[in-house]
Amino acid sequence: MISPIHILTIGLGGAFALGFVPKKAKDAAAVLMLAAIALMGVLTGSWLIGLINGESAQQIFTAGFKPPFSINLLMGLNESVLTTAVNFIGLLGGIYLYRNLKEAGNHAVMVFLIFIMGLNVVIMTRDIFNLFVFLEIVSIATAGLVILTESGKSIQAGFKYMLATGIISGVLLLGIIFAYYYSGTLNIDGLTAANIGALKGGSVALLLIMVSIILELKSFPANGWGLDIYEGSNAGIGAMLSAATATAMYFVLSKLLEMAGSEWNYWVALIGAVSFVGSNVLALKQRIAKRLLGYSSIGQIGLLMIILGFKDVLGDNTPYVAFGILFSHYFAKAGLFWLAGIVKQNDIANWAVIRKKPYFLFLMGTFIFALIGFPPFPSFFAKWELVMELVNTGNLPWVVAILFGSMMEAVYLFRWFGYAIKGENENIEDFKIEWNKILPVGIVAIALYVTGYFTSQHTDAGAAINWIPLFFVAAIFILDFLPVFIKNTIAIIGMAFYFYTIYPDLDNLRLVFEAIFMIGGILTLIAGYAYKGTRPGFYPVALLMYAGLTTIIEAQNTLQFFFGWELMTAGSYFLIIRGKRSMPHGLSYMLFSVGGAYALLMGLGMAFAGQGSYDMSIINSISYIPYWAYGLLIVGFLTKTAALGLHIWLPGAHGEAESDVSPMVSAILLKAGVFGIVLTLIGMGGENNAYPWLPYALGWLGAITAFSGNLMAVFQEDAKRLLAYSSIGQLGYIVLGFAMMSHLGWLGGFSYVVNHFLYKAVLFLTIGAVVLRVKTHNMYEMGGLIKRMPLAFTAVMIGIIALSGVPPLSGFAGKWLFYNAILEKGWYLQGAIMFFSGGIAFMYLWRLIHTIFLGQLKDNHRNVKEISIWFLIPIYTLLAGIMVYSVKPQWVLQPLGDIVAQWFPDGQLTWDGGTAFTKYGHWAGTAVAVTIIAAFLVVTALLMISTRKAHKVKQFDITYSGERPERPETTHVAYNVFEGLYQAMWVATIPLVEKWWNKVSDFLHDTAGIVRRIYSGNGQSYVIHIVLFIIVTYFVIIGG
Amino acid sequence: MTIAKLGYTLLGLFIVWNWGFLMGAIFRKIGARVSGRIGIPFYQPWINFFKSVGVRTTITHGVMYYLGPVFRLTGGIGLLFFMPLIYTGDPNGMWTNFSFEGDLILILYFQLFGMLGMAMGAGEGGHPYSAMGIARGLAQHAAVELPLTLAILSIAIQYDTFSMYKIVEAQQGGFQNWVLFTNPFAAGAIILAMLGAMGHSPFNLVKAPNEILIGPATEYEGTYLGFMQSAGSILHVMEAVLFMNLVFGGATSWPELIVKTFLIYFWSVFVGMVFPRYKIEQSITWFFKVPLVLGVLAIIVFSF
Repeated sequence: MISPIHILTIGLGGAFALGFVPKKAKDAAAVLMLAAIALMGVLTGSWLIGLINGESAQQIFTAGFKPPFSINLLMGLNESVLTTAVNFIGLLGGIYLYRNLKEAGNHAVMVFLIFIMGLNVVIMTRDIFNLFVFLEIVSIATAGLVILTESGKSIQAGFKYMLATGIISGVLLLGIIFAYYYSGTLNIDGLTAANIGALKGGSVALLLIMVSIILELKSFPANGWGLDIYEGSNAGIGAMLSAATATAMYFVLSKLLEMAGSEWNYWVALIGAVSFVGSNVLALKQRIAKRLLGYSSIGQIGLLMIILGFKDVLGDNTPYVAFGILFSHYFAKAGLFWLAGIVKQNDIANWAVIRKKPYFLFLMGTFIFALIGFPPFPSFFAKWELVMELVNTGNLPWVVAILFGSMMEAVYLFRWFGYAIKGENENIEDFKIEWNKILPVGIVAIALYVTGYFTSQHTDAGAAINWIPLFFVAAIFILDFLPVFIKNTIAIIGMAFYFYTIYPDLDNLRLVFEAIFMIGGILTLIAGYAYKGTRPGFYPVALLMYAGLTTIIEAQNTLQFFFGWELMTAGSYFLIIRGKRSMPHGLSYMLFSVGGAYALLMGLGMAFAGQGSYDMSIINSISYIPYWAYGLLIVGFLTKTAALGLHIWLPGAHGEAESDVSPMVSAILLKAGVFGIVLTLIGMGGENNAYPWLPYALGWLGAITAFSGNLMAVFQEDAKRLLAYSSIGQLGYIVLGFAMMSHLGWLGGFSYVVNHFLYKAVLFLTIGAVVLRVKTHNMYEMGGLIKRMPLAFTAVMIGIIALSGVPPLSGFAGKWLFYNAILEKGWYLQGAIMFFSGGIAFMYLWRLIHTIFLGQLKDNHRNVKEISIWFLIPIYTLLAGIMVYSVKPQWVLQPLGDIVAQWFPDGQLTWDGGTAFTKYGHWAGTAVAVTIIAAFLVVTALLMISTRKAHKVKQFDITYSGERPERPETTHVAYNVFEGLYQAMWVATIPLVEKWWNKVSDFLHDTAGIVRRIYSGNGQSYVIHIVLFIIVTYFVIIGG
Repeated sequence: MTIAKLGYTLLGLFIVWNWGFLMGAIFRKIGARVSGRIGIPFYQPWINFFKSVGVRTTITHGVMYYLGPVFRLTGGIGLLFFMPLIYTGDPNGMWTNFSFEGDLILILYFQLFGMLGMAMGAGEGGHPYSAMGIARGLAQHAAVELPLTLAILSIAIQYDTFSMYKIVEAQQGGFQNWVLFTNPFAAGAIILAMLGAMGHSPFNLVKAPNEILIGPATEYEGTYLGFMQSAGSILHVMEAVLFMNLVFGGATSWPELIVKTFLIYFWSVFVGMVFPRYKIEQSITWFFKVPLVLGVLAIIVFSF
């Protein structure tokens, strides 16, 4: 092994050698610098490999003396990891900045090299004075690099940086002097041994040292200078500050924290939490990309400080958690800063330009999802462990703070990403590609995926994750250039094969949901054949959603479940935001999903607490504040079923999605939430439920959701929004059914689950296909299409009859079961609200079929064609399902009854052939169907005989108000048809929930707007902030 | 057995069909007399019917238009099939039709079969009046549904069953056993909701005879109209039978059925003669007042 001291040799030697390179040989200088950094990287990398393979750590004592007379460096495992990381990012950063540095001249190249070398030493040093020296070197180098960009902003920022770090260094030096005075050593190990904090006066020394390092980490709110420097410097430098400097400084803090002793843990965690929450809230108002990234960086460091503060709680897991978060941040933040330098847009709204090169959009998405902590990135696994351990040890307020901060981060990052995916970009000049800039970005993106995979393998629960679906998604992503026909076929075959291989392993409950996900998925994919071209990006994200869905079904442990849940969320987000006007809806979907996921995370943490296992069965025996745990789980799942209060994302998301995406996210995706609720309710003990208030509240929520969703659907003019509101209402029924916690209630719930899947898929597919033909969502712009699209009409007719619950079609099964269940349970008022909602549903169903297919055909639709065959195939397959269910309900209800009986053995249906009995009544599904069909046929025959000579006339051949109408538009009753109802019930349509959420959003944004005024941009103010920060921490930590 | 039962059922259908016509005529007559006119002869509905089905020229607007009356009439006939008409002490007795003891939920939802079908059929006619009438009808129906559902649930709680047969059975043995007296809140809600279900003034904006011809059926003629008229006649009687079974003790013989349905029908006509028509928003809010309160009271009384 080469001694780590040679990092200095290489760095200093390289810098020295650069002095000899002729000024004109700019390339040579830059290459020499890269070579030097690479060499340092090789050195530290070889140490990393050696230490992993069991070599022992090396202590270096300069000049052969022992401390305190020599400078002491250490190359242990942590140091080797971090120095390698710094050199790696330094090399990439050097490549990225190649042209900038080269143009700036040999001095700049030298400074960059010294900067990286300085960071290496900062990581390795065990001597606080040496630390001070190298911090100064790094600071000066940083300031030099910042002012390389010769703009007013960067020079100001550099100056403020010098001011701030000058003050901080002064404080640090004071602390070092005191420490040396009281303990007689400058060595960290020596100071630790001397227990500096306990010495007389030592606590002040310690405070000064710790505070100055904390300030170096740009802790909120004394960090205006830090934000300015992120904003003002070249993006390449920003990347270095965020990835390399912050990483090194964080390690310094962790070294010093050992010296400071465990009483400092709390303060570090607290300052971290304030920083994390504060800077993420303040970032809400931020619209300048690099400054936004600055806020995010500061926030992430805050999160890392919390982890450091809880190192005693996390124990052996600390490095895993810390490195998980750190590396996600390190790669992702570097990547985003570099992208900022490539895109060259300040305003986040202008980042829409990035999708002119879709590959870059993919990179940006990777970084943003990694920052928020989505799978498969390391931060996902780290956050999971962190939350699990913190909940397990009862640190709930900390978890709330962490999740709240993360939520805020998600708000602004996804808003930014939304602009990138959907913003207006026609008038923005495209950006240029330089290969030296793309290379580093690509490498860190790949590194995120690779580290994510290896992070997962580190724990047993993570290692159990099935990666095959994800690899399939990756394969489809690589094949994205192929035409739709090929990709669609591959996707369908892949899903079918996967379903075939896993279905024998599933229990019946899971099989029902898996069948809805997979068979439903395949059917909706068939509709995809109707699209032409390559449909870029569609298949990877659709399959990502299905991969997530199947993962939650297969999950053996809670980590897998959450992994699947987040994959599904990510996939569905991308699917939803593909719609034309979906930008705001994609964002609100994502925010509710993230919020819901955090509720789940906490709930799963409580389940973990005290049980010490991640097995799925732990949710059956939650002992740690179980009411809260089950409540949080239910709330988390309700965000996906769009219960009232958590529903505001759904109408837009489903309404604006593409024609074959709407059924995916409506008929299929919503069932994931139902599956979660089912699992939770089973966990609560099924029939022996010990938490009666939760289902009771859930029942009311379901009933009110059913009412509101249906009522809102009645007043929609947009066909797809109508269906979307209808889904809210239908899911309300389902929630109410399961909340009843009885055999009949659950059977009713399952009956609705299956039915809603069938008819909502039919309706959304058909209406979506019609929309593709007529090019509008507005029902009043359609009309009379029955003549042009008889097959589509038939499908919608059967769909709405099934939905309405009119016998003999399958919807009646649900109604019948619900009536019986309501009577048995005694939830009469909830039941009455639900049945009233059913009456309201009639209105929107009629409106749907009438205003689109009946009434008057518009002139511009006289030549539209029947909907595509590729839509008709899945539609009619699903209709066959509805018909079978209608005529032979026992084929569906008996197996479902057997499933439900596992948890609710009492009050089952008894079957006599095709007749089902409850204690209140009975229903002969087949006989009723046969009777009705027979009567129908007889009457039809009579009418046919009587009117065989009927003269066929056009729809427009009518008279009206004493004249023959002139235009179909004036004759088609479609707009605002339920005006009378609106006048009677407008009170119930006031969007109180939406207003409430808007108020919450306004409050947070206004708070951010007011508080961030402290960042006046004035260097003197920033200095005062620093001084005040020190004084306040002094009084809080010592003065009290 | 089944053949005989089918025979009885069809006979019942025939009686109901005729009784519906006659009753309709009588009430048109009463209405005329109240307003000082002589009115139609009692056999006018038959004349209308035979004239309608006898016309040689009819037109059609398309398949759904064609199926509208089919749905409507099937809805009427099906309702009769699923409803026990006359209580004989035998759940499979001859006048119980194919009711399978008359599951109340089936009856409630099957009522909508004809309504929905006709709504779609009339829609294909393309006439604005059809659509207006249907939109109003559906809105009013939903409002009626709320007190009605509450009352029906209350009766189901009271007798612990959804079987129409058992509900009728429980009311035997004298009028004091009728739901009217044993569950007055539910009865009150039903009697008021009934006005909306029957669709006479003040709740007849759906058909609005003068202003918009005949509402949803405006484009229908010939046999289609004949079928509609038949269905209307059957449905009127069956609605009355439903309320008779629920609240007024059912019927043990045809004469009892005739008298009771007549009186039930008369109630809505009587109110219609006295009160002028509501606008749709007025009628909706009306059902959300007294009938709804009665319905909720009916539930509260029986849920403890």
